[in-house]
Amino acid sequence: MIEVNNVAFTYPHTKKQIFSNYSIVFERNEITAVTGNNGAGKTTLSKLLVGILRPDAGSIVIDGADIGRMDLCAIGKKVGYVFQNPDRQLFNDTVYNEVAFGLYIMKLPNDEIEQKASHYLSLFGLTQYRDAFPGKLSHGEKQRLALAAVLALGADYLVLDEPTTGLDIRRQRELGNLLENLRSGHGCGIILITHSNEFSSCYASKRVVIAQ
Amino acid sequence: MNLARLDPRVKLLILAGLSTAALVSRSYTTLLALLAISLIILLAGSIAPITIWMKLRGLFSLIVALFVLQCLFNRSGEPLLAFTKFTLITQAGFKTAAAISLRLLVILLAALIVTTGEARDYLLSLTTMKVPYEVAFMVLTALRFLPMMREEAQDVLCAAQLRGLQIKKAGLKRQVGAYSKIIIPIVAGAVRRAEDFSIAMEARGFRAHPQRTTMRKLRMRASDWLYLAVFCAIISSIEAIAAIAAFT
Repeated sequence: MIEVNNVAFTYPHTKKQIFSNYSIVFERNEITAVTGNNGAGKTTLSKLLVGILRPDAGSIVIDGADIGRMDLCAIGKKVGYVFQNPDRQLFNDTVYNEVAFGLYIMKLPNDEIEQKASHYLSLFGLTQYRDAFPGKLSHGEKQRLALAAVLALGADYLVLDEPTTGLDIRRQRELGNLLENLRSGHGCGIILITHSNEFSSCYASKRVVIAQ
Repeated sequence: MNLARLDPRVKLLILAGLSTAALVSRSYTTLLALLAISLIILLAGSIAPITIWMKLRGLFSLIVALFVLQCLFNRSGEPLLAFTKFTLITQAGFKTAAAISLRLLVILLAALIVTTGEARDYLLSLTTMKVPYEVAFMVLTALRFLPMMREEAQDVLCAAQLRGLQIKKAGLKRQVGAYSKIIIPIVAGAVRRAEDFSIAMEARGFRAHPQRTTMRKLRMRASDWLYLAVFCAIISSIEAIAAIAAFT
């Protein structure tokens, strides 16, 4: 489980305090939706969970390990993160390489990389763009590619910041079913940062509202 | 005088004056005097020392790196620090390094003076100083985009690290490879944003009329003139004293 213990966080430049003595627990084998108004701190919470932002006080513990002492690579092995803006996480020259990037770093055998990457490209309807430059895709396609690239790594927890943005109803349903499969099949703990009440009520078993 | 209330043209002239004086000055005394003046302007202008430190903190390592490199690679002059027969630092190397670091510090502090104003005020002041509006707008827009690009670069770097890319512990060659990979989406994003921005500007009638009018007019007050006069007098005196000292 991910335990957020008495966390305080203030943005240093704006001096805006987002959290003060905030605690919450996210379980494995559960989909939790985090909702709240604009500026309430949903994205800040998601960035704290993966170590992009570090709390001023308190601790974040993932399966017994305090992430305060871990670098981003070590945290990434436990938690996959999909940014709100997919442009900020696509940096490879082709769609295939984007999905295969983390798998190469994990030093998997080439045939396994090929198999996994092709599977996730097909799952998200991106096979036809295999050799395309990610920057040329539409917003929805980029969103799907970002999800595919993170899901391929098979982390125990997933933090998805507004994953339904740019997805049509059919793709949203497919994403929801995929997340449900990850939860039930692999016991993955999924944290959805979302504005969509419909999506969260359909797929999340727990809902957290961050008040401003 | 509070810098936020000072006319933006005066602030631009102070930046130009301090930077030029720092670049042409040869003596340490002059550079130290310029550094003191920059600090006095900032502190007297209600900028807290902690704010100055926070804004310059990131660039401090650059100044230190420049100092060290100049010390190590400038081999002319008498030895200042030697280890057995091997000279580590020469006197000329140390002097050049100190001068360059001081110059850079003065320019950075002078630039901080300009950060106390609004971008639209500088746009207005540049146009009143006969800089074409398009050029002034482009320069200020580019400056406004810089923090956004930095934030974007940080996010891309974090995304790559979360997907397993070791940057901090990697060797120099792998670090260069990793950073060159990360530059692609940042440049692509900047180009795309610039295209969107230009379309949005044209849609709102940018350059539709050759003559631009402004709702607000900048007016130099007596206190602005006085501030500028005192600044010019001090800088001229310092440079004159330095020139006389060099001549004698």
